[in-house]
Amino acid sequence: MFKTILHLAYKNAFLRRSRAILLIVMIGVSMAIMITLEGLYDGMTVHMIEKTKRSDSGDISLFAKKYRIEGDIRFHINDADKKVSKLKNLTGVKEALWRIESSGLVQTARKSRPAKLIGIDLQAEEQFGKFSDFLQEGSLDFGKNGIFIGNELAKKLGVHLHSKLIFSMQDSKHQLQSVAFRIKAIIHTTNVSLDPQGLYIAREKLNQLLSLEKNSATQIALMSKHTDDAGLQKRIQQEFPNLNVQSFTELYPQLKETEQIFKKFNQISFFIVMSVIFVGILGVMYVSILDRVREFGILLSIGYSYRYIRLQVLFEAVVLGLLGYILGALLGWAFLEYLKNYGLDFRLFSDGLSMFGLDSTLYATIKTAYFSSTFIAIIVASMLSVILPLRKIKILKPIEVIRSIG
Amino acid sequence: MFSLAIKNILFYKGRSLTTFLLTFVSLYLFIVYVAFMNGSHQSMLQNALNVYTGSFQIYQKEYRSKGGYDYLIRDTRKPLQILADTKGLKAFAPRLETFGIASSKTYSHPIMLTGIDFNREEKLSELKKALTQGEYNTHGACLYMGENLAQKLHLHLGDTLSFVGSAVDYSFVAELFEVCGLFKTGMYEFDSQSAFMNRDYFDTLFFSKNMATYIVAMAENLKHNDAVATKVEKKLPQELQLYRWQTLMKSMVQLMEIDSLFGYISMGLFFIVIFFVIMIYGFININARLREFGVLRSIGVSDNKISLLLLLEILLLTLFAFVFALPLGAYTAYYFQIHPIVIEGMSEMYKSYGVVSDKVPTLFDPLTVFYNSLFLFALNLLSIVYPIYYVRSFTPIEETQHV
Repeated sequence: MFKTILHLAYKNAFLRRSRAILLIVMIGVSMAIMITLEGLYDGMTVHMIEKTKRSDSGDISLFAKKYRIEGDIRFHINDADKKVSKLKNLTGVKEALWRIESSGLVQTARKSRPAKLIGIDLQAEEQFGKFSDFLQEGSLDFGKNGIFIGNELAKKLGVHLHSKLIFSMQDSKHQLQSVAFRIKAIIHTTNVSLDPQGLYIAREKLNQLLSLEKNSATQIALMSKHTDDAGLQKRIQQEFPNLNVQSFTELYPQLKETEQIFKKFNQISFFIVMSVIFVGILGVMYVSILDRVREFGILLSIGYSYRYIRLQVLFEAVVLGLLGYILGALLGWAFLEYLKNYGLDFRLFSDGLSMFGLDSTLYATIKTAYFSSTFIAIIVASMLSVILPLRKIKILKPIEVIRSIG
Repeated sequence: MFSLAIKNILFYKGRSLTTFLLTFVSLYLFIVYVAFMNGSHQSMLQNALNVYTGSFQIYQKEYRSKGGYDYLIRDTRKPLQILADTKGLKAFAPRLETFGIASSKTYSHPIMLTGIDFNREEKLSELKKALTQGEYNTHGACLYMGENLAQKLHLHLGDTLSFVGSAVDYSFVAELFEVCGLFKTGMYEFDSQSAFMNRDYFDTLFFSKNMATYIVAMAENLKHNDAVATKVEKKLPQELQLYRWQTLMKSMVQLMEIDSLFGYISMGLFFIVIFFVIMIYGFININARLREFGVLRSIGVSDNKISLLLLLEILLLTLFAFVFALPLGAYTAYYFQIHPIVIEGMSEMYKSYGVVSDKVPTLFDPLTVFYNSLFLFALNLLSIVYPIYYVRSFTPIEETQHV
């Protein structure tokens, strides 16, 4: 019986072919565009957050107690190497490193700009955040007097590879130091706090220039193995009570907020689109049932149970919804796969995007949730859409129906 | 034909109500959404221009590409006179920027020191409004500096600091200054790197009389900026170049363009779904009326007249929805332009993106409302094309026999 009902439902779903196809195309096209946008918006925030973590904060960063408020090199972390080793041994920590940073004035023959000089260890940075990915021009080798420069800062100063520049800063003994460097690489992290201001040199060298011990750091950053860092942050804080332990969210609240805004926007879009799709299915199902009132009257009068009619109508709606879903999932997946691999080229807007911490090519992400949540929503919408038409059948008096039509 | 269309609209209530509601909701949402999007963009831009940038700036031709003292405006008198003779300008002023190291007793920090005419700047930028402590218009060796910069140097009002830099002839400049005023614009980088001093004493120190890095000007009305800028541009000496805010704020303009693009794409998604639903309802409606059309065509009503009837029906339904949605949407857009939504802490959160105000106003622009309405109107009319094509694919006999 069940098989017969299913067969009938399928046949009836396509009784009015144009109408059914229109509905399937509507569900498919809307769903494809919706999940493509969802994937693109998610991709934008995911890449923005991921690059910020890789280039700077990691999942958690440690600072000397007053450093974040005062920004003074005096408030640095001693024996950073030992602390990093200790952190690496903690459960949940994937990678850790330390950096030293000093703000100062960078000068060329013609221009000057406030900037920050960051002492890094290239090998550690590579393991931590694949630093080589950020290389825009040149080679990642500091050599004797080499310096890497953020691409936005290079633009502002009008400098290129091999250009000479001078950086002036105050060391830990409050003496002014000026050092000449030659640009070896131009770095593009898309991090809004680094690209317009960042300069990179070897960590040991900067410590030396700042008259600090070679294992001194202003920041220790770590990547966690799991996304939920709350427990880990607490454990680290207990382990290092004299340091200020801050999560990525605390350091970059605007990025987290942006992610939340995009998430809410996606949820609202999802709700509106699904509501309209529901209205579409409802209309089609309602008319489909009204068209066949006589048929249902006859079926009921020969003893066909209402239960079976209900099941048949339900199947009809689900078949249409499901076919629309399959079309939408296939189209959406194809769009997302393309955007994930090739991205959307927005080079025309590169300055604007970099202001927001985004690359000029926007890539999408693909999450199973896009497909599962849409599947559930479409099936639910299909099932709900038959409630009203079914009530019409339920109150049907078979004899009256046959008589009225006859 | 018109009364027949009205009768059909009233008779097929389900289709009429759905089309009306969907059209109403989409138009209302579209008007309000676009008004908020444009309003927040304009507010962001206006704030940025008002704070410091102005609506256009004049540079020596190669300054922006090469920079440095070699490319300063050497004589500001002629361009300033041109600006004084031009109508439509709110204010204008020359600025001379230099970079150097400022030091308190213990701390040093790089700063951008700018020589300005405090009286002119008062009309031009938000610098005076940003005053938090001390005095704005000062004379002699007095600095008006960003609060964050003072904090970094551990300085308070009345404290002394030294500045080391170079004069425009590349000679060494070192001077002691007093902190006479503190300001806070909300733009973190600006507040932590900038200090201003009066132009007279600046010129004495830096040998920069009648020179400027650039001249900044603000149009009385931003909408007329292009026309005013063009007038000035025509009179400028050859070695000078005028840059409009669109070039000066290229990143921000692009950011807004891309935000608008994504906004329209998102709205496009809603329109596609709504378009399909309106079309499906129209199609269902037509399917149910095929016999009626068959009869009409059998008694001599032409295909074109039937198409016209269907077009008239959707036209009336659309217009009916517009009558309600348009004034309501426009009123909402206008209301929030006068009473902007305030999101506490927003500027603090997004200051690195140039957001300096917590207010999110709408922009009520009748022309934008008109174009958006026109677009939706066209889309609604388009939704009846396939149903019309479908009706015309039958012969009158097929239609009368249609079940």
